[in-house]
Amino acid sequence: MAEPLTFGELLERHEREIFAYALRLTGDRDDADDVYQETFLAAFRGWPPPRRGQERAWLYRIATNKVIDRARRAKRLVRIDDLRLAAPERDGVSLADLATAVKVLPDGQRAAFVLRKLQGLEYAEVARALECSEEAARARVAEAMKKVREAMR
Amino acid sequence: MNELMVDARERLVARARREGLETVGYGVVDSPLGPLWIAVGPKGLLAIHYGGEPSAHELERIVRAYGPGLLPDARRSDPVARELDQYFAGRRKSFDLAVDLSPLTEFQRRILSATAKVAYGDVTTYSRVAAKAGNQKASRAAGAALGANPIPIVVPCHRIVATDGTLGGYAGGLDAKRHLLALEGGAVPPGGWPTKRAM
Repeated sequence: MAEPLTFGELLERHEREIFAYALRLTGDRDDADDVYQETFLAAFRGWPPPRRGQERAWLYRIATNKVIDRARRAKRLVRIDDLRLAAPERDGVSLADLATAVKVLPDGQRAAFVLRKLQGLEYAEVARALECSEEAARARVAEAMKKVREAMR
Repeated sequence: MNELMVDARERLVARARREGLETVGYGVVDSPLGPLWIAVGPKGLLAIHYGGEPSAHELERIVRAYGPGLLPDARRSDPVARELDQYFAGRRKSFDLAVDLSPLTEFQRRILSATAKVAYGDVTTYSRVAAKAGNQKASRAAGAALGANPIPIVVPCHRIVATDGTLGGYAGGLDAKRHLLALEGGAVPPGGWPTKRAM
């Protein structure tokens, strides 16, 4: 896909997945709305995207940082109703897995888990979004899966 | 798009507008000629594009003039949409919209300004428009400038036809040109507008 020329192109291509990502990470509609808005405003202010073809990972990186900043400021309880909105339908990851992940995983692992298992990013993209190596991204996802399984036992 | 997303996007665009990050607002409206993509900048209407999406060329032209701050924003496109609805319903004969031709060349601006003066229901020829723009011999160049008219319908290039009485060209297709001329109820030649000169 060609490089986005305008804010609108970036927004229209990626807003749904970024909103879903925010909802999956925060488990709260209002928080997800804030993260979505702050992510795109930050992208517009920081225009242009850093490198051709990497704007998706760039947006996920901004969104992840926004979520982590918020989590640091205020710990919130997850509303299961809102998680239902974000319910995944892929990779055999269930609503229960997601709810557990949101409860038990530290921010970095939760983000890796959601990016890979729910948003469907390649490991290379997960690594760019989380500013870590691909190997570290794989390790975080594996660790997250292990914790989620243990927690659900 | 679900309601949750629509609300979130509206709030996002409103914030971008307040922060001055949005320079141009766009929207898509339905019309009897299919979807029209509309862009409105700080000085007025910048583009009406046949089809729901602008061409890359169109976007590049706008980005060169106003930067990348184009966002979907019904607040800016709605006034244009309203006037277009009235026009297509036969309830409006001229547009009360500021148009922005500044990203164009001087020659294009002169041709389009001359075109804007052709009244509803009238038609004129490429060579007369060229003459009004100061160069009667430039009718071919006038045709090219009209073919690249970024604001069709409102800058009524459909009212310009060939000197031999044929329809000439039109970016939205000749059926669209016929539709607009018929809507305006001008003098249609017997048998309708010919596409090519009769042998």
